[in-house]
Amino acid sequence: MPPAAETKLGYTPPDGGWGWAVVLGAFISIGFSYAFPKSLTVYFKEIQAYFSVSYSEIAWVSSVMLATMYAAGQWHQTFDTIFRLNVLIAVINSNSFLCAGPVSSILVNRYGSRPVVMVGGLMVSSGMVLASFGTSIIHLYLCVGVIGGLGLAFNLQPSLAIVGTYFHVKRPLANGLAMTGSPVVLFTLAPLNQFLFDCFGWRGSFLILGAIVLNCCVAGALMRPVKKSVKPQPKTETPPAASEEDGARSSDFQIEENQTESRCQGCAHRFIDFSLFKHRGFLIYLIGNVVMFFGLFAPVVFLAPYARHQGIDEYSSAFLLSIFALVDMFVRPLTGLLGNTKWIRPRIQYFFSFAVFFNGVCHLLCPLAQGYVGLVLYTVVFGMAFGMLCALLFEVLMDLIGAQHFSSAVGLVTIIECGPVLLGPPISGALVDAFGDYKYMFYACGVILSACGIFFFVMHFYNYKKLDEERKQSLAAERRTSEEAVKLKMSPDDKAAYEAEG
Amino acid sequence: MSASWGKLFFQLVLLLASCGHINTKTPSPTSPSLDPISPLPSDIRRVVLKGESHTEKVELLNPVDLALECIWSGNENKSPNITGYWRKDGEEMQSIRVTVQLENDKYTLRQVFKIVSKENLGSYSCSFGDEAKADFLLAGPQIGEVRDKPIVSYVGDSVVVKCKMDEKKPKPASWNWYKANGTDKEQIFYAAEPQKYEIKNHEWVTKLVVHKLTEGDSGFYYCEGVYAVSTTMGHVELKVITFLEPLKPFIAIIVEVIVLVAAILIYEKSQSKKNSAGGNETNADQTNTPTPGDNNGPEESSSTRQRKV
Repeated sequence: MPPAAETKLGYTPPDGGWGWAVVLGAFISIGFSYAFPKSLTVYFKEIQAYFSVSYSEIAWVSSVMLATMYAAGQWHQTFDTIFRLNVLIAVINSNSFLCAGPVSSILVNRYGSRPVVMVGGLMVSSGMVLASFGTSIIHLYLCVGVIGGLGLAFNLQPSLAIVGTYFHVKRPLANGLAMTGSPVVLFTLAPLNQFLFDCFGWRGSFLILGAIVLNCCVAGALMRPVKKSVKPQPKTETPPAASEEDGARSSDFQIEENQTESRCQGCAHRFIDFSLFKHRGFLIYLIGNVVMFFGLFAPVVFLAPYARHQGIDEYSSAFLLSIFALVDMFVRPLTGLLGNTKWIRPRIQYFFSFAVFFNGVCHLLCPLAQGYVGLVLYTVVFGMAFGMLCALLFEVLMDLIGAQHFSSAVGLVTIIECGPVLLGPPISGALVDAFGDYKYMFYACGVILSACGIFFFVMHFYNYKKLDEERKQSLAAERRTSEEAVKLKMSPDDKAAYEAEG
Repeated sequence: MSASWGKLFFQLVLLLASCGHINTKTPSPTSPSLDPISPLPSDIRRVVLKGESHTEKVELLNPVDLALECIWSGNENKSPNITGYWRKDGEEMQSIRVTVQLENDKYTLRQVFKIVSKENLGSYSCSFGDEAKADFLLAGPQIGEVRDKPIVSYVGDSVVVKCKMDEKKPKPASWNWYKANGTDKEQIFYAAEPQKYEIKNHEWVTKLVVHKLTEGDSGFYYCEGVYAVSTTMGHVELKVITFLEPLKPFIAIIVEVIVLVAAILIYEKSQSKKNSAGGNETNADQTNTPTPGDNNGPEESSSTRQRKV
């Protein structure tokens, strides 16, 4: 029997120190991954005019997903061509982005986060620089959409993974802080892109953006692989509740993995771990997320068009998105902080279920919002809900799976989520077209998200119960075996003394 | 009442008799007997004067019989008669000076103007004595969408300059493009230099494509939408720069990235050197601690087990 002193990870996460620098690196990486494609929309009008691209011309340049989109949705005149171009590039970008998830998982498992992030940064940078010399729209799609998308994928996934290796006790906070990168970078990039466009036109801007995005390499440089030397752990530092529950949750998985543990102490699986599909928590997360993503991003995409539909001018509509990003920015670290408290950490899955449900309710109430003030209120509440959800999105996965298998888990999750993320906005668009009104889209998203919230809540209630039972069983089994071991070790004199005492 | 109209008619006849032909510069009031062609559509613009003066913008695209009406409630001493007259572009139209009667506590001055050509547009003012005045600015429609900031493009590249008319208004019959040449505007003829310029018109939008840009192509470009009686003008500025311009910030940022990455990696190397130097001593300490730890194995195992991720 291997000495029980080995932890599952094989080391103690520092929970601080250089970890905060890693969080900064993750902040930058995640920020660029999420915000960069969204911020490019400033250039679309000009690019579309430049290449004189009409919708029918570019229609054939589509992935299978897009073909479904065109078949399913009737693109209404309310969506002008710029918006459609938006969706097109965003879709191609996210396609590469999400589908590259498994590839980056494999690479991270093999090489660690740092090289993958740096390579990713170089890829996006070269994609943008090449795009600035583009002579056709297809050239642009390949450079920005495919190469850029892949590069961003290589940034997102390793950043999340490395935060998990550096933090355990303060992990929700670290995750919350890292995920704040997305709204912050979006908030910074949007006006910056406008400024660059005014000064240099789209070609020069793409060139300069290529340089700016190279800062992902700086982020990568910060991602020093964590030192995995086994140290005697400090006794009372960890809040017992958190570590106990946490340990129990992964206990069933650990029992399965014990064989491989003894062979491969502290090192992650080299390839995608398909045994994750047997993991109860992972399955709950996966099923819930797949349904959730259908309704999650559509309201963000349609916020500004909805505002314009209500008769609000273009600038105020765009300002709504800035409000959204601002609220999001502050809510994410706060959520991380909350998730770290001793009341919430052990039951963080409930917190996540609440966040999902909150999103759902928010959208259901949206059609009640009247006028600009109502919309601002909705945006603020939506920003809060969305921020909470995003801050916890990967934290709960880490909580269920554990940092070691997180890399593979995220890879699997992203490729499966590909479908709903891409199909969500177009299907919502089709809903708006069909009814000529946005409110049914909001109702649909609200229902989906509320239902997912309830699903998560119920399933995790069941899951926690099962985990508690399993933990009790495994602890009982351990005590029995360790008692036997102690009895075998003890000499007959000691045994007598022991029995006299006990 | 009929006396003043009679006077007006008399003045009209005199005017017409004295002039051999109708001077197109001075708009004449309508006289159905003179123009037997199909009647023009009519339109009316009414202004109620409150206070000293008022300006009203009138957008005209097609020929029209435009009636302009000014209503004034008068001042403290409401005199029964007041002289009402019209001015075009500052010059008084003597022929249509009338005396306005006070009716229902108001003075009403009305005149119909025939708008058939560009010369008929301009600024028309109605005045009541020297007291109240209203201006009607007759012009073509405002250009809908035009970029107010300069369009930036690169030497050797091509650029699309776009002008868009508001879709709520009718489409222009045709579009013209001009390039500013000093203070003049020089029309761009599509046929003259087909490799250089391309004009694409489509309903409310006109696009000027300029190929093989040079720095001399920078400057203002004017798009002119032509309607039956009016035109509308918009302007866009084009700036042509070389690729060196964005290259400077590009290189600056690349340098910054290289410096930061190098700094971080060097710092890390120095840190690890320090650790490896001090590491040998700590290793010696650590060998002692596990032995007492072993006896606590069973109890410690539960707490160690908890330190899972």
